[in-house]
Amino acid sequence: MFPMLTLLSMFYYICLRRRSRSGTRSEALGSRRAVELGQRSALPVTVEVEQYGKEVLDFSSHYGSENSMSYTMWNLAGVPNVYPSSGDFTQTAVFRTYGSWWEQCTSSATPFRRTPPNFHSLDYLELAFEEPVYPTAVEVLETYHPGAIVKILACSLNPFSQNPPADVRWEVLWAGKPNKALTPQARQFSPSIRQISFASNLLRLEVNSTLLDYYTELDAVILRGVRERPILALYKIPVIDINDLSDSEEEISDAGGLCCRSGGENRHNLGNGYFDRLPYELIQLIVSHLSVPDLCRLAQSCKLFHKHCCDPLQYIQLSLQPYWARLTDASLSHLQSRCTLLQRLNMSWTGNRGAVTAAGFCSFMKACGLSLVCLELSCCHFLNEACLEVIAQTCQCLQELNLASCDRLQPQAFNLITKLPNLRRLVLYRTKVEQSAILSILTFCPELRHLNLGSCVMIEDYDVVASMLSTRCRSLRSLDLWRCRNLSERGLAELVSGCRLLEELDLGWCSTLQSSSGCFQHLARSLPRLRKLFLTANRTVCDSDLEELAANCSALEHLDILGTRMVSPVSLRKLLQCCPRLKLLDVSFCSQIDSRFIQELSGLFPNVSIKKSFTQ
Amino acid sequence: MLSVFSYGRLVARAVIGGLSQTDSRDYSLVSASFGFGKDFRKGILKKGMCYGDDACFIARHRSADVLGVADGVGGWRDYGVDPSQFSGTLMRTCERLVKEGRFVPSNPVGILTTSYYELLQNKVPLLGSSTACIVVLDRQSHQLHTANLGDSGFLVVRGGEVVHRSDEQQHYFNTPFQLSIAPPEAEGSVLSDSPEAADSSSFDVQLGDIILTATDGLFDNMPDYMILQELKKLKNTNYESIQQTAKSIAEQAHVLAYDPNYMSPFAQFACDNGLNVRGGKPDDITVLLSIVAEYTD
Repeated sequence: MFPMLTLLSMFYYICLRRRSRSGTRSEALGSRRAVELGQRSALPVTVEVEQYGKEVLDFSSHYGSENSMSYTMWNLAGVPNVYPSSGDFTQTAVFRTYGSWWEQCTSSATPFRRTPPNFHSLDYLELAFEEPVYPTAVEVLETYHPGAIVKILACSLNPFSQNPPADVRWEVLWAGKPNKALTPQARQFSPSIRQISFASNLLRLEVNSTLLDYYTELDAVILRGVRERPILALYKIPVIDINDLSDSEEEISDAGGLCCRSGGENRHNLGNGYFDRLPYELIQLIVSHLSVPDLCRLAQSCKLFHKHCCDPLQYIQLSLQPYWARLTDASLSHLQSRCTLLQRLNMSWTGNRGAVTAAGFCSFMKACGLSLVCLELSCCHFLNEACLEVIAQTCQCLQELNLASCDRLQPQAFNLITKLPNLRRLVLYRTKVEQSAILSILTFCPELRHLNLGSCVMIEDYDVVASMLSTRCRSLRSLDLWRCRNLSERGLAELVSGCRLLEELDLGWCSTLQSSSGCFQHLARSLPRLRKLFLTANRTVCDSDLEELAANCSALEHLDILGTRMVSPVSLRKLLQCCPRLKLLDVSFCSQIDSRFIQELSGLFPNVSIKKSFTQ
Repeated sequence: MLSVFSYGRLVARAVIGGLSQTDSRDYSLVSASFGFGKDFRKGILKKGMCYGDDACFIARHRSADVLGVADGVGGWRDYGVDPSQFSGTLMRTCERLVKEGRFVPSNPVGILTTSYYELLQNKVPLLGSSTACIVVLDRQSHQLHTANLGDSGFLVVRGGEVVHRSDEQQHYFNTPFQLSIAPPEAEGSVLSDSPEAADSSSFDVQLGDIILTATDGLFDNMPDYMILQELKKLKNTNYESIQQTAKSIAEQAHVLAYDPNYMSPFAQFACDNGLNVRGGKPDDITVLLSIVAEYTD
């Protein structure tokens, strides 16, 4: 009996093991499909994984409201909703600006010198996927006015992992020039991408819509990749790519260390050839044409150039935005000694995911911020109240401050801006600034010329803000109140009576303004210098408003009256006749204005770019 | 001695029986829709889930199944506005909200509110108005949460009897509560109710419960007992039988609507209010029929 039992149990055990070995493994969930690539020989079978975006983690701007799903950047995640249809749909991701219209306005920042010619990016977004893969293809489904994508990068960091590594690398998968497709129809953009040495599930798309006729709209991004490192990469001998040399920005962080070493060495005095005969100022002029990484590399070549390249006069304007991927606390501390005369600093987009800390930034500011006049800190998520405190204390001459999309900055930090009385340009687009803070800022900064409060959702009563502007900031030239929730005709009337010098006014999507109250007509009569007026999606704009604009605002250059049913062709024609400098006119979704009339007007007024968007 | 034992056993069984009542299985709705537009206008192709000026949607999410109907107010046609645009866009927006998980299952009024404000975010200047009725089944808690604005509504049928129903919301005769977006020149004179004015309710459901969500085209033409009669014929919980039953209910209502001598619920109500009328009420009919079943992937 016992031998029988042992035989039976052995038999059973063997059967069990066989079943467990051939058991099914659970397949992946969600939006992934596994496709087999056929490679039947000795090489292992590589499985290509296709993924749609899981979550949009960060972006520089978008057209829609916060908390909405219309025209907002969060629409880029998930499966496509519109593609392959073309048109202006709510379910797509749309950036805030397009073309060069915003750059033409006086409210925009003057460009920084030494911007490398291959840096075209104006906006970005970061999209995370479920699973890290070695990318083999990236496809972007663009459904309206395609051609804006200029760079695709991949990150080595997994944003969903619990313990992030200290070293975060970004590799460029593809880079190109801003483009414009022949038609505004939908297309699938799939450039050939480089192979990289790490698996990634975080992509960054950088965008430039300068050449486009209207807003570009993105529907979805598909990431194709393999889970195991491609065999080919192991055998491939790395070829030194000429483009790599111009891209490598790590010199900025290495430069400091090497400079210290070369400065201390005993050098044979070989002389510097003809450079010894050139006057100091001439070498300075030559060196002033180099980009910042080249400046750092040149500083390592010899003592003479080290002296020239570390001369603070070369660092009066410094734009670190093109090097956002490589900038760290170490880089800032190495640059510190050279930047004592810094007047204009652009650190937009830098320092995210721990690359720059608040402490590092503060020490840089304390050392270099004394003469600072312009400070661009758009999308700098490392900023906190302490940083603003240092800026407020150190940069007493500051005239321009850009904190656009610093949405993680605490509301109480904005109170510190009141300590900058010389402020002329302040950008708080998409920040959490509160009513009390903005009122204090307006009280203490009477020199304000350009103010951007677009999508500032924490400000409860814009009428009070408008009232304060009209009493305190009478030299205001441009005001951006995009999507301000509750500006009424009372506030607008006070604003235009106090700020007589207003040239640019953006009241897009301010739905509480009613034309029947006469507020737009009053506006036209009060602001003869008006050059830009956006009344986007204010459904009450009517013929009498346009007639007043025609009669009073002959300097008008940009006008947006999207989505009103009450404007007729007659008043539009009159406006065009009376405003000879008009360059941009957006009459999308104006039901009385049809395409045939637009064609007629374009023929009569060839200098005006008339926009009429469509959904299908 | 023995009686104590047997008594103890009875008590133990009852307790264990009571504990095992709590069902840890997830529920889901197996749903089908059917409907008729009021006039079959030739050449106008409507997309799916739109019947005349009515619109509906069925959406699934990890945590809940959601249905909705909206009855576009036909009076806008006189002012050159297509009434189906508002109801259709409202339902498409609700569907999108659900699919993207931007909702709380226990707050269907929130779905209506968010969806209505999303309509205002559209570049296209939408005009029109409609009623709305949203039904949400929370898979885990087995609760049905509903929101109803206007005269569309739902019935919950268990064991051949109506156990829950929605109430009609009317301002006055033939003028239900409605969500609307009006042109600026008519702001004051167009009826516009806030989404927060919707009636909401929550209650438990059991496996096998039948939920019928429909616009007033059904309820004004078919009294309860006729609907229940049709529902009795529903034997299984598979999609085909539900689709068949929904179709037969809608067809019957459609036939009754054009019967000039039939005393429809609408005619009955009119008579009660002093109007001497008979016959059905030609209207768009939308029927969404669902059965509570176990959740399968």
